[in-house]
Amino acid sequence: MTDCASCADERAAGAAFCEACGRSLIEATPGVPLEQPFSEPPLAAKPPCPNCGVPGGVGTDGYCEHCGMLAGRSRDHLEADSAEIAAAVTDRGRRHHRNEDAMWLAVRGTDVDVVVCDGVSASFDPDVASEVAANTAGAALGKSPDVSAAILDAKAAVAELAGVGDPRRAASNPACTIVAATIRGVEINIGWVGDSRAYWLPADGPAEQLTEDDSWATHAIAMGADPAAAMRDPKAHAITAWLGADAGPVAPRTGAFTVIGPGHLILCSDGLWNYLPDPAELGAVVRDQLHKGGTLIDAARGLTDYANAAGGADNITVALVPVSNIALAPVSNIKE
Amino acid sequence: MPYTAEAFQNEFLALGASEVNAIVTVTSSGAEGGRRTAGATEIIIVDASGSMQAEGRISAARQAAKTAVECIDDGVNFAIIAGVSTAQQLFPAPGQLAVSSPQTRADAIRSIDRLQASGGTAMGAWLLLAAQLFALRPGDIAHAILLTDGDNGERVGYLEQVLASIAGKFACDCRGVGVNWKVSELRKIAEAMLGTVDIVAKPADLAAAFEQMMTKAMGKTSADVQLKIWTPVNSTVRFVKQVEPEVMDLTGKRVEDGPRAARYPLGSWGAESRDYHVCIDVTAGAAGDEMLAARVSVVEGDTVHSQALVRAVWTEDTALSTRINRQVAHYTGQAELAETIQAGIEARKAGDDRTATIKFGRAAQLAHASGNKATEELLATVVDIEDAATGTVRLRRKVEAADEMALDTRSTKTVRVGRGQ
Repeated sequence: MTDCASCADERAAGAAFCEACGRSLIEATPGVPLEQPFSEPPLAAKPPCPNCGVPGGVGTDGYCEHCGMLAGRSRDHLEADSAEIAAAVTDRGRRHHRNEDAMWLAVRGTDVDVVVCDGVSASFDPDVASEVAANTAGAALGKSPDVSAAILDAKAAVAELAGVGDPRRAASNPACTIVAATIRGVEINIGWVGDSRAYWLPADGPAEQLTEDDSWATHAIAMGADPAAAMRDPKAHAITAWLGADAGPVAPRTGAFTVIGPGHLILCSDGLWNYLPDPAELGAVVRDQLHKGGTLIDAARGLTDYANAAGGADNITVALVPVSNIALAPVSNIKE
Repeated sequence: MPYTAEAFQNEFLALGASEVNAIVTVTSSGAEGGRRTAGATEIIIVDASGSMQAEGRISAARQAAKTAVECIDDGVNFAIIAGVSTAQQLFPAPGQLAVSSPQTRADAIRSIDRLQASGGTAMGAWLLLAAQLFALRPGDIAHAILLTDGDNGERVGYLEQVLASIAGKFACDCRGVGVNWKVSELRKIAEAMLGTVDIVAKPADLAAAFEQMMTKAMGKTSADVQLKIWTPVNSTVRFVKQVEPEVMDLTGKRVEDGPRAARYPLGSWGAESRDYHVCIDVTAGAAGDEMLAARVSVVEGDTVHSQALVRAVWTEDTALSTRINRQVAHYTGQAELAETIQAGIEARKAGDDRTATIKFGRAAQLAHASGNKATEELLATVVDIEDAATGTVRLRRKVEAADEMALDTRSTKTVRVGRGQ
């Protein structure tokens, strides 16, 4: 039995990586707390290379002894599967050389904490920033459900990175976005900085975007620009707020939400929503996946597959949390 | 582990690119407590040909040999060879090695007084005798100093034949005194024997040169360190060069060692640091692919002391793939500097002033840009440097032979790039 997500992922044949990298399996699965068991044990001590297929080819440092290709990075594809309670998947995508997204999913009974972070590629070590942010915010939410405080904790931890490790971090400090949510029964609290998003997808009807991107495009659209043109602009994804040493004072935007009918809370990075910028479109695709009859993790996997099929231009992270209650009429109360 | 190996590179390659470059810095703090991990044997080979009588060379050579003997640590094995038309062992008795002690060093110094200059030059024979003596102590840190003042008198091809048979058996630092010897000949020996070559123009400077070489040799604590390079299938090592402290091409010294791996000899090591430029041709990958292009290990026998990974990551992001690694760029320039100087000297000798001017101009530019002051100063003895930045130089009408030989022998000396900038 192993807690390493990459081991369960036969595509990455990650079993070798973990055995090889010598790191503890908990460390190898950033953002995934211990209570998330994964289904499959490592296949063999030395699995075949996923690239060239040479049996037992993967060496102790994770590279194939035959073709030299990296057999799998621990963060290339990670999954957190809490059966019907929650599921999350993060994937490197098809174009980026590493996964700079990170996620956290913690489940205690029906309480769920979920965090998605996306490293800013232009900064140095953005993958470290996202990992630190997701883990810090996730750990904070385990102690107190204050989303805003958890994001500020993450901000402080990411800002500290600029002063340690590689000196290049000082010149271009590690930075990332964050979106975090707590689900306590029917009460959902969300908070975000940057352009990672949260949506509410009711059982029927169009999805609603709960977050508002801290991005150039959103700003331009708010100022009256044509939405389609603004999204096509090269600057569209330039974020106007982030976590990092150079971020200045960060005021996380937050929202609170009481669930009144069954639906799904969706958190995702722009690796997914950039292919589906319209919430209604994204909601429709998520609903398709949910209606395929598979498990929740199958749906989450299906969404990363969707983004990869569309080009996989960026790292993809998506978390799905079904929430249901049969109570009052929907009241959506998003405040900034 | 006293050894560290660190790779400096830009691992990001544009799509379709298949050449991977890295500078691997190997540093050793020396064996534990500065003690040798093996025995040591030193052999001093002094040219005693008739020409050594000129300019007081033979007496300077005697003094230099004595100075070197005095630098040999107690317990180190040593011998002195007098080089004439044959190799004659001057000390101790033929076919033997002495163990250094105050007594044996005094005996050796007395025997050096008997060294007389008369006869020919037979470097192949001298080196062969040295190899036979080193063979008495397999596994030792084996180092020789070879001093000559003239051309080899052996039949053409004999020296090469000897070098092929003794390469790797010991390290040999070569020094030429005066200006009547050939740089190319001593360089051939130094390259085969992983040693250095330099000119000692004035006999009076020989003692200092010998002292420096012997002191350096006494600082070596490991006998036979090697670089083991593993590369993936369908990849080839284009070259492996030592690039610091001086340029030395090791590509041809490859010895296969297991599947897709080979060893390159680095010679003996003390507390020191050297840089190697490794260039690998790989099969280009797709966007996002990461390949291990080479696993570079510092090994001694079966012991792996340290390992550095040379990686290749293909990306569509040109901001990443066009980044120039300072180390790789710097040492590519230093290797070009050495080649350009040697080409300039050759062109000048052949009377092709135009090519010589272009080559020396480029060399001046490279030396200046990389901060290699020593080489720039040596260049200035052969050409007038009008503007180093643009590489504008004029050939000097009259050039001292010693200056040109110094430029030639020291053209391979490199400087280290400032780290962490």
